[in-house]
Amino acid sequence: MNKDGWSGLVLLALAGGYYFATGSIANSTLEDEVGAIGLPHALAVVLALIGVALFLRSLRTGRTAATDGRDEQETDVRLPRALGFLALGVVYVLILPYVGYLVSVALLIGAVAFYEGAPRRWTIPAAAIGGAVLYWAIFVKLLGVNQPVGTLFEGLL
Amino acid sequence: MTMFWDIVHLLTGTPLIPVAIMGLVWGILGGALPGISASITMALVLPFTYTMDPAMAIALLACVYIGAEYGGSIPAILIRTPGTNSSAATVIDGYELNRQGRAGEALGISLMSGVVGSLFGLAMLVLLTEPLSWLALAFTPPSYFGLGILGLSVIASMTGGSLLKGLAAAVIGLMIATVGTDPISGVTRFTFDVPDLLNGVEPVLVMVGLFAMTELMSQSGSTNVTELKESVRVRLPSLAMMNRLRRSQTIGCILGLFEGLTPGGGGSIAAFMSYNEARRWSKTPEKFGKGSEEGVAAPETANNTVASTALIPLLSFGIPSSNSTAVLLGGLLMHGLLPGPRLFEQNPQVIDSLYVGSFVAIIAQVGVGMLLLPAAVWLVNRPRPYRAGFIFALILSGIYTLNNATFDLGIALALGLVGYLMRMFGFPFLPMILGVVLGHMVESSYRRSLVLSGGDMMVFLQDPICVGLLLASTCFVVYSLTREVRDARKARLEKAEKAKLQEAHG
Repeated sequence: MNKDGWSGLVLLALAGGYYFATGSIANSTLEDEVGAIGLPHALAVVLALIGVALFLRSLRTGRTAATDGRDEQETDVRLPRALGFLALGVVYVLILPYVGYLVSVALLIGAVAFYEGAPRRWTIPAAAIGGAVLYWAIFVKLLGVNQPVGTLFEGLL
Repeated sequence: MTMFWDIVHLLTGTPLIPVAIMGLVWGILGGALPGISASITMALVLPFTYTMDPAMAIALLACVYIGAEYGGSIPAILIRTPGTNSSAATVIDGYELNRQGRAGEALGISLMSGVVGSLFGLAMLVLLTEPLSWLALAFTPPSYFGLGILGLSVIASMTGGSLLKGLAAAVIGLMIATVGTDPISGVTRFTFDVPDLLNGVEPVLVMVGLFAMTELMSQSGSTNVTELKESVRVRLPSLAMMNRLRRSQTIGCILGLFEGLTPGGGGSIAAFMSYNEARRWSKTPEKFGKGSEEGVAAPETANNTVASTALIPLLSFGIPSSNSTAVLLGGLLMHGLLPGPRLFEQNPQVIDSLYVGSFVAIIAQVGVGMLLLPAAVWLVNRPRPYRAGFIFALILSGIYTLNNATFDLGIALALGLVGYLMRMFGFPFLPMILGVVLGHMVESSYRRSLVLSGGDMMVFLQDPICVGLLLASTCFVVYSLTREVRDARKARLEKAEKAKLQEAHG
């Protein structure tokens, strides 16, 4: 099956899941003719139809047509790498409330630089610490954003 | 006279000048980074504008757009890599001039042509936007529904070769727009008892997630090394040269105006069309592709004109015709500003700041563009691993400023993954963003119309504006579909011909 086929199946699953989730929408006494559920139902049906059409098209065109684009092929190859990159962001979000903004940003910059292949030298920690201080100065001091201090350090401040 | 004093007040009594310069600087640096388009550059700065005065925020975004259009030409000329999509046409002759040791001259032509295009575009923006927006005063809920549908019909031209995928992306965008509190009955939808979802998913998160996160993920592990010569300096063209470039700049202005006004048009289409027309009308067409000054001037004038004229349909009717204007619309909505005549009536300071700020940025572009070139070269030459780390940290820090919520970070990361998968499977982004941005308007105006008419669907056909807009949408979709079918047929024929030729040659 080519990419269009997989896309069609994913869209069908998404439409099904979305339709199922509309069950959680409560009724209201202010309900109008269409109701809060009207558009979601219609969208789920349209997405399902598009999914079916894509799937059928994939059967007709076969394997060859789908991966013409160089860009698409490149993204295929790099998926694990991209997921690893994203995981660094997820770790940042998870540790942010505990270790605070300054430490989290330093770790993020350092980790990304390391992950992206920067030479293992003093420059990685230097860039991480320098970048964290720079961003902390911009966001916290200059823009006055309440970035998390971190529960670990709350007692110290 | 009052207008004069208003402008003086804006320039002296508000931080407009530093804001415009900051936007311009950010735009040039962002646009100069290969892979970071004008829309990504704008999306990166969008969260920062949250705490700003709305007038300054919108002016900042417009100035970023102006700067990014010039910034994109720097790597296009110096390393044959367009910094933004719309500078792709500049590569052809800009890089040839660079190879002939005339990089400074090419950058100067690009800079001055950008100024000419931007000034023309700004003049058109000032002249056309407000009169057009007054049309919107006659709008009823059915008209707004028609307008929303017209906005969504842009999708037909932004499908990247597959209408089905474009439609799917738009439907997913509309699905995201249904998250939160229902606009009519007030019940919650798809919030799953998460308080952070009560107000829905902010369009800015979708834009940052799809554009910026996806780009960073796509570039992860890339081994492309970009190295710019640090000794390059901008050489502004002489008056005689500017005179010689007049014809190609005029072509760029006209096509830039046309493409900016057209839903689905954009800087890259305008740039390539201008390049072709400039070659056709040139006295020296043989120089094109071999280092023609006109070949740099025409596309650069066109894409800079579009940076202003694309704001005309956006400010008048709320129709974003490109990724960059979609981000600007996100900025307007984020500050509770709705495009149309009421924006001109109730928030004239926003419009004035946008116009005056853009003018300041365009004029300052000459000096800032020359001064900033070494910084842009330095930035592009930084090792990619560090650059990725700093940009990623900047995005996540910026998103947090929206609501001081880590939940938003999670949403943006998730949308980054969605964007990556969409790119992998060949789904375009803009339809999804249009769905998110226009979904609320389409649904609420549709339902409001039916409430007013007691459920009679004829209400949409009784409103002449609605009928006109729906007809325009239909024409636009039919035209786009016809073009897609024609292009597909042409590609098939070319392929078959190629195969035949290969067979004939054994």
